[in-house]
Amino acid sequence: MKRRTLLDEARRMQLQRTTRRHFLQGCTTGLGALWMATHQAQASHSVTPHHAADNPLSPLAPPLPAKAKRVIYLHMIGAPSQLELFDYKPDLQRLDGKDCPQEFLEGKRFAFIQGVPKMLGPQYPFQQYGDSGAWVSDRLPHFSEVVDDVCFLKTVQTDQFNHGPAQLMVHTGQARMGYPSIGSWVTWGLGTENSDLPGFMVLLSGGRQPRVGKALWSAGMLPSVYQGVQCRTAGDPILNIGNPEGVTRGQRRSMLDVLNRLNQQSHEDFGDPETMTRIAQYEMAFRMQTAVPEAMDISKEPAHIHEMYGAQPGKESFANNCLLARRLAQQGVRYIQLFDWGWDSHGAAKNEALNEGFKSKCEQIDKPMTALLKDLKQNGLLDDTLVVWSGEFGRTPMRENRGGTEMRFVGRDHNPGAFTLWMAGGGVKAGTSFGETDPIGYEAAENPVHLRDFHATVLRLLGFDHNRLSVPFQGLNQKLTGVLPAKVIEEVIA
Amino acid sequence: MLARPATAAEPAVQAGADLPGQIRFNEHIRPIFTAHCTACHGGVKQAGDLSFVYRDKVLPPDGWVVEPGAPDESVLIERITSDDPDTIMPPPDHGAPLSDHDIALMTKWIEQGARWVEHWAYEAPVAPQVPDVGATQWPRQPLDRFVLKRLQEEGIRPAPDAPPQRWLRRVHLDLVGLPPAPAQVEAFLADVQQRGEAAYVAAVEDLLDSPHFGERWASPWLDQIRYADSKGLGADGRRNIWKYRDWVISALNRDMPYDQFTIKQIAGDLLPNASIEDHVATAVHRLSQSNEEGGTDDEEFRVAAVLDRVSTTWQAWQGVTFGCVQCHSHPYGPFEHDEFYRFAAFFNNTADSDLNEEYPVVQVPLDRKDDEQASQLDREIGELKHGIWQQEYALLSDAQAWTPLTDLEATSSNATQLRVERDGAHEEFFTEGTVSRNTDITLRAPLPVAAATDSTSDDLQRLTAIRVTIEPHDGEQAMADSEWGFSLSHVTASLLVPGQDEPQALDIARLVIDEPEPFFDPQESLNPKSNRGFAAYSRIHYPRQAALILKQPVEVAEGTRLRVVLKHRVYLLAAFSLISRRGHLAVSDDPRFTELLSDESLRQQRERLAQRQTERSAIPSTAVPVLRERPDHLARPMHVFERGLFLTKGPEVTPGVPASLPPLPDDLPANRLALAHWMVSPQNPLTARVAVNRFWAQLFGIGIVATQEDFGSSGEPPSHPELLDYLALRFQNHFGWSVKRLLRELVLSSTYRQSSKVRPELQERDAQNRMLARGPRHRLPAEVIRDQALAVAGLLSRKPYGPPVHPPIPSGVWRPFVASDKWNTPERGEENRYRRSIYTYTKRSIPYPMFAAFDAPSREFFAPRRLRSNTPLQALMTLNDATFVECAVNLARRMHQSGDTLEAQLTYGFQLVTSRSPRDTELALLLELCADTAAAAEPDTAAEPDTAAERDTAAEPDAAADDEPPAMTAEEQGLVRAAGVLLNLDEFLTK
Repeated sequence: MKRRTLLDEARRMQLQRTTRRHFLQGCTTGLGALWMATHQAQASHSVTPHHAADNPLSPLAPPLPAKAKRVIYLHMIGAPSQLELFDYKPDLQRLDGKDCPQEFLEGKRFAFIQGVPKMLGPQYPFQQYGDSGAWVSDRLPHFSEVVDDVCFLKTVQTDQFNHGPAQLMVHTGQARMGYPSIGSWVTWGLGTENSDLPGFMVLLSGGRQPRVGKALWSAGMLPSVYQGVQCRTAGDPILNIGNPEGVTRGQRRSMLDVLNRLNQQSHEDFGDPETMTRIAQYEMAFRMQTAVPEAMDISKEPAHIHEMYGAQPGKESFANNCLLARRLAQQGVRYIQLFDWGWDSHGAAKNEALNEGFKSKCEQIDKPMTALLKDLKQNGLLDDTLVVWSGEFGRTPMRENRGGTEMRFVGRDHNPGAFTLWMAGGGVKAGTSFGETDPIGYEAAENPVHLRDFHATVLRLLGFDHNRLSVPFQGLNQKLTGVLPAKVIEEVIA
Repeated sequence: MLARPATAAEPAVQAGADLPGQIRFNEHIRPIFTAHCTACHGGVKQAGDLSFVYRDKVLPPDGWVVEPGAPDESVLIERITSDDPDTIMPPPDHGAPLSDHDIALMTKWIEQGARWVEHWAYEAPVAPQVPDVGATQWPRQPLDRFVLKRLQEEGIRPAPDAPPQRWLRRVHLDLVGLPPAPAQVEAFLADVQQRGEAAYVAAVEDLLDSPHFGERWASPWLDQIRYADSKGLGADGRRNIWKYRDWVISALNRDMPYDQFTIKQIAGDLLPNASIEDHVATAVHRLSQSNEEGGTDDEEFRVAAVLDRVSTTWQAWQGVTFGCVQCHSHPYGPFEHDEFYRFAAFFNNTADSDLNEEYPVVQVPLDRKDDEQASQLDREIGELKHGIWQQEYALLSDAQAWTPLTDLEATSSNATQLRVERDGAHEEFFTEGTVSRNTDITLRAPLPVAAATDSTSDDLQRLTAIRVTIEPHDGEQAMADSEWGFSLSHVTASLLVPGQDEPQALDIARLVIDEPEPFFDPQESLNPKSNRGFAAYSRIHYPRQAALILKQPVEVAEGTRLRVVLKHRVYLLAAFSLISRRGHLAVSDDPRFTELLSDESLRQQRERLAQRQTERSAIPSTAVPVLRERPDHLARPMHVFERGLFLTKGPEVTPGVPASLPPLPDDLPANRLALAHWMVSPQNPLTARVAVNRFWAQLFGIGIVATQEDFGSSGEPPSHPELLDYLALRFQNHFGWSVKRLLRELVLSSTYRQSSKVRPELQERDAQNRMLARGPRHRLPAEVIRDQALAVAGLLSRKPYGPPVHPPIPSGVWRPFVASDKWNTPERGEENRYRRSIYTYTKRSIPYPMFAAFDAPSREFFAPRRLRSNTPLQALMTLNDATFVECAVNLARRMHQSGDTLEAQLTYGFQLVTSRSPRDTELALLLELCADTAAAAEPDTAAEPDTAAERDTAAEPDAAADDEPPAMTAEEQGLVRAAGVLLNLDEFLTK
């Protein structure tokens, strides 16, 4: 048929251009590549991914051997308290209610703590679980069943103690907007395996949006094609994926057939290679129109799977997103980013207080994140899928006393000095814990892990040397790990 | 004497065969240094105290590695040719040895005298000779000769002119961002027939005069200087700064010369007789991100904003990446670490900080017609304020007028702890540890009243004024690292007279303070209902003073004690209490204070001031954040930040420009105004080149220097160096910095007029068209794609200027952190739904989806150029987005009304979107589509269900339901499909 021939022609042309090493057209793969090429002298030891000329997301093998092929990142926006979940501190219990010793306050900057606050013991009982004997509080009864698949990092550190900059630090390595997120680096470096779906997808649980919004899944100075694509569980799963009302798939097909042939005429008139790329992009969009809604439709999952996750199709929830994450991982999406919200437990309001709202937040994530790990495992996906769970910083062992007075609810202030992050699958050492905090869980006592080290480790698990995955911009080889030294934590790699 | 090893010398001689006669440093030598040497011997790392960035580190008398004229005596040659792995450079584990050719170049360069020339971009351009290209009709402008010369050298013939209608569409989209209407095309073609070249000139003149010119050209500038209508970090709340965007559009429309455009933005507030517009221009520097999140360190983000202003200024005006000098000397540019902070010092003394209120602001009239009157009033108000203040401040700052108090007692109303210490003649209170919110500090001290018998000069008989001094806790440190300030919400004073039970309240008539234009009226400290008043807002660097002037002198009896209560009710970001942390009191019996209240001239001035302020507030205005200098006596000092960390201050620095560039004008104080003049001085080698390169890149798709953001030695060299210098000098001198005159010449050139058809034989050699052997062709910018669709659909509003608008946005996208921040889309038919894209509200954390999909930057930082991507998400946008669907429907309607036959209607539509008539084959395809649609509309062939569309409608009734008019006939449906195709044509989306 006519359409076939036209597309064959498009492919042939692209192939031809690829073999001629024509990667310098005036577009993503063109200007971008040109601009990188012009900087090669400075970036001499950096690795620049070379994607196919017509597809900037073509799958690439990583430069180093790696187990992890994809990432599912679960970010609890607001920063959950490590002291109520994973970092068990009996000494803190003994200090509960006492004035905070001056030594803990000197030279510290707090967001809200004033004067001399009181120490606050763990608010929930802890117990050890599994063969690994991991400590978990009674807030996460389901999760405690899978601790032997998990690797805890207890001493993660950041430079920022406010949410916006700290969230940016977690996802871009920088405290200001405008830098590429981990997902962008990874899809730039590895492309994606399913060309009918975006390579980097972002799922939000609903409720409040992260305060810096799309900057958390921005491509920064990388070409915009590597930015995260936000998907919704209600409405269009991707913006404008549905045809306008009254336009059927058949009609869209016949429109595209005409459009393609007119564009082919353009190509004959001008010989602009971008025109052929455009024809291919319209075809990919057409395929995405069926592939994306299908991938995003969790209603087709069997009842026992819904039960396992606690998912309810049609709602915006973390549970639905966990199930979706598994479906997308299965279909070869490279980087799946989930954001949950409501974890900022200051004790300034009931819905976020440690003794109130925090309990229901724990209930909302416990079952689904456990189900995600179990489900990935039973589908054989956990081995090559890296799952990460974190907040953006830790919380203080002192009770927050906003305005210098005791507050109605119980809460903790921000603490950049130490927080817990866990990873599972994707080549991490299961059933382990790395790093120890001091007896009150305030600072790292041994093996501190800066976010830079965590980023270096994630890249290594995916097959990259963090020093080499870089792009020249503003006179500097920009890297996820920035300019300060970062190290891969070999101890957590299996 | 050192002998070179023969083995190395041999090939060097052979390689010498193809060496250039004259070695040019920038062309031949510097690239070798940059590629092989500067990683270790550069600006950051200067191993062995050797740097190939600086001439004096290489050449005598201070340098020791090169002996000009004597390669054999040059250590450099010895080291790069050595065969000893311990001596050879670069060391074997750092990289391969230099090629024989490179060694030969280096050797010949030294032989020829080792002439060191600064990087081309740091040397002022020299007028080049316009090349002789022989007898040819091709060049229309001198610039064409530079292009043709290069083509001749490459043995390439330029492309023929594009057909007139193609040029017309190109020049319309380039100059005003809108396509020509079919009638305009027709008129132009007729005019070309008649008048030839004059028709082209006339078309360009019309476009340059169009009010849409500024709307098109503002976008690239707003990318440079990161314009957004939101604040960035924190809640990314709204920022009311659209008057600046309007200023840019209007400046472009008026063809404000680029030097003025520059001066006003860098230092409009410092111009003599600055108008409101001049102040608004400085809002460019208030586009930096701020952080309004609770608990954030205001000073940290203020400093970040200052450094961002420095980087942005360099990037936008000088095309140099200066940001890296923040942490260390430039790795390959001649800029040293402290020079970054000398430059930052120009920007460090503005009154703004990282506050929600965005102070300082200027009240800008909503109606531009009021600008002049408001400017005059503002100038007069400013003069009156300063005049009054100077008289009052002279008295406040007269140390002779004051007697300091001792035996101070200080108590607090809550958990805040206080202590008192002696300091010289006075005693002062300090807070201890952290302070509690809403603290009242009560100070008591005996008044030094003369006993009848032992009167001394210090004693006073009566009281006329009380001086309150509030100081930083650590006075020395605070100059460099400011502390949180204070805000005196309410102040009262009374006398405790022996024998009287009740304190005797003192009637304070007026506060006189040490700052002429505080953010808050200090008199508010006397108003118990207001929390504002005398303040160091929000930081304190120096002791701050206020005089409380008593309404009338009060006689003081012996043994009387003074009581002053300082109430504090302001805290910032839910965390920081603005409380006086240290302070002391003094008193005066000087009658001049009382006279300040009654002085006739002062009274008149105050009256006139009040009158003018009333008149001014009657002019409806909007508050726009701007730059304003802090008074000299409260100036913030600037320090080097060690390794770029603002908490690690190094030596103090004064404002200055890098030594490797021409000096500041010496007839001006070293402030922002001097800086602005420096930038546009004839000696500045960068400003004009960077500007013409940017305009060039907008038209041709790539700059003469491709790395528009980097003219330094790490950037790309210009494709046509002489052309760049020719244009830069012409722009600066001949055109008097007129952007319109420059663009006029560019779009009328033969280079620009060429056909954009790709020649396969050149595609291999020059895919980027750097040699300019054809006309430009690329995908249009996001704004132009949307505006063009609205225009061809007949929907576009041509209303200029005004507050940001909120055109349709897909549902579910607008979910701001603060729910009260609404996106209210105007209904169908309302003008603001169809305004030009430049007026769309720009929120950094929620970019407008259509713009983001088409590579518009989200404006967190300067974006020197947009990369053009080509993605499926773009296809989904122009096929399915509500705006484009609405455009398709309206375009169909327009087509329907344009003629009687389907052929005529489709032809008209095709002309609207491409500015040309369709070929028969093209028309046939569209007709076929219409016929298919009509057939499919028959009930029995009704198409298969479409799950995506169904789900869509079910979930988002408001998004889909009102985007389609009620039941259309099959014929109309066909036209809508055809219109959808037209709006997605490669030719439509491409210039």
